[in-house]
Amino acid sequence: MNAATPITPSVRQSRVRPSRRTADRMLRLACTLATVLGAVVLGSILLMLIVEGVRGLSPTLLTHPTPGPGTEGGGIANAILGSLVLTTIGIVVATPIGVMAGTFLAEYGRTSKLADVIRFLNDILLSAPSILIGLFVYTLMVRPMGTYSGWAGGVALAIIATPVIVRTTEDMLRLVPGTLREAGAALGAPPSTVIRSVTWRAASSGIVTGIILALARIAGETAPLLFTALNNNSWFNADLMGGVANLPVMIYQFALSPYPNWQQLAWAGALLITLAILALSVVARVVIKPQRAR
Amino acid sequence: MSTAATAATQALTQPATRANADSSAPIRIAVKDLNFYYGQFHGLKNVNLNFHDRQVTALIGPSGCGKSTLLRTFNRIYSLYPEQRAEGQILLDGANILDPRVDLNDLRARVGMVFQKPTPFPMSIYDNVAFGIRLYEKLPKAELDARVESSLRKAALWDEVKDKLKQSGMGLSGGQQQRLCIARTVAQRPEVILFDEPTSALDPISTGRIEELIEQLRNEFTIAIVTHNMQQAARISQFTAFMYLGELVEFGPTNRIFMNPEKRQTQDYITGRFG
Repeated sequence: MNAATPITPSVRQSRVRPSRRTADRMLRLACTLATVLGAVVLGSILLMLIVEGVRGLSPTLLTHPTPGPGTEGGGIANAILGSLVLTTIGIVVATPIGVMAGTFLAEYGRTSKLADVIRFLNDILLSAPSILIGLFVYTLMVRPMGTYSGWAGGVALAIIATPVIVRTTEDMLRLVPGTLREAGAALGAPPSTVIRSVTWRAASSGIVTGIILALARIAGETAPLLFTALNNNSWFNADLMGGVANLPVMIYQFALSPYPNWQQLAWAGALLITLAILALSVVARVVIKPQRAR
Repeated sequence: MSTAATAATQALTQPATRANADSSAPIRIAVKDLNFYYGQFHGLKNVNLNFHDRQVTALIGPSGCGKSTLLRTFNRIYSLYPEQRAEGQILLDGANILDPRVDLNDLRARVGMVFQKPTPFPMSIYDNVAFGIRLYEKLPKAELDARVESSLRKAALWDEVKDKLKQSGMGLSGGQQQRLCIARTVAQRPEVILFDEPTSALDPISTGRIEELIEQLRNEFTIAIVTHNMQQAARISQFTAFMYLGELVEFGPTNRIFMNPEKRQTQDYITGRFG
């Protein structure tokens, strides 16, 4: 429907002032333009990413580690593997802390002052610039240990993922009707049993979705890894006490390099990481779907 | 005369299955000088009332009169909310359940509750019924199976769900969910069952089944039911308590309360002049 829809006679005779109709059209136009603008920008980013990324695909991409300066060929296998390891550490550390803290806020701390303070701090952490978190972990782990390390990278990602999980867990648990908790208590179940067997279950798909979204968020983080895991040009050697290659930092370094084959690899890596995040978002939607259908 | 009162009187005069009040039945719950507060608000004022063993007692009255509040003191479910408190005595088999030393979980195993909206847990039908049993008893599989079956039979649900015990309880219809909740409560073998407007979210046919069920359950359990529906109170209860503004106005055998109320307020409510 566009703004030029013919006005029906009844509307023509209505007492609506013409200025109102003009205002309505203007707003509709502004909203449409904004939507188109947003979609065009997003579309062109994706288009360029696909075109350039596909050009960077090669048979050795997934099988070879990043090449040295001036060396032809090579792949990004070490960065993919490193990213998988770092995000796994991040999410494995963040999930129990995030779910437990979210449960505290929603179930035990509904009315407590402590919960209000934690909720406020969590909201700040949620919007903290990720480079600050990178610097924080650098000071906390990298400097004392004297080396960039995979562990430090994982911890930095965990710090970014935790507030996301806290927030979604609390929100999802608050959606569980209070009568369900009363029904559990009325059977003589202690609060811990009600939480484990009833409220967590009732909110499970929402909580899992929150974890997946946190995973998608940390999969693309660059800044916290620059100061912590940094990079490693050799094959992943299972030593998390040293630097660990990962996709975001690889993209950052290779895209700025003077070597055309490095730039191609950066594009290919960017495409892969975008596809992975897209896949995670789709999974999150599928997980939450059965609950909405009810 | 209003239609509500006519219907209520009809329900009384119809050849019902409902048994007459047995005032000689032993007293299961004795409420003595009970006062209840929501923060500053005085929700129940000096309530004194007895609930007889294996009788259905209906609590009626207009919205906000305190009937649900009274029901919620019998299993102390109100204590989930820190600003709510009760003063006075509620004797269950002679022991005061308002005593702070009373084990709440033990009390709630003895006094079961069914809520207005069906509250199936997000788990299988079988696990829903077994939930309360597993809290207190470690039964061998065969015995647990038997308890689940007999509970579902008592709740008149067995024939409808016996082939899908592993399916989610959330997939049942509203009326079936409410009977599942009754089965879950019955499975714990409580002494008293509290019903808080158990049919107000259900269609007439499901309502009828729940009412028949309550009549059968009366053979085994002492029952207190809050209802907005006067015909329902007339159909299924032996005793009726009429409450207004936090006070107990009148209590007695259901026949007498409906046919020959002593207090003006009771008569006005029953005949639909207010409420």
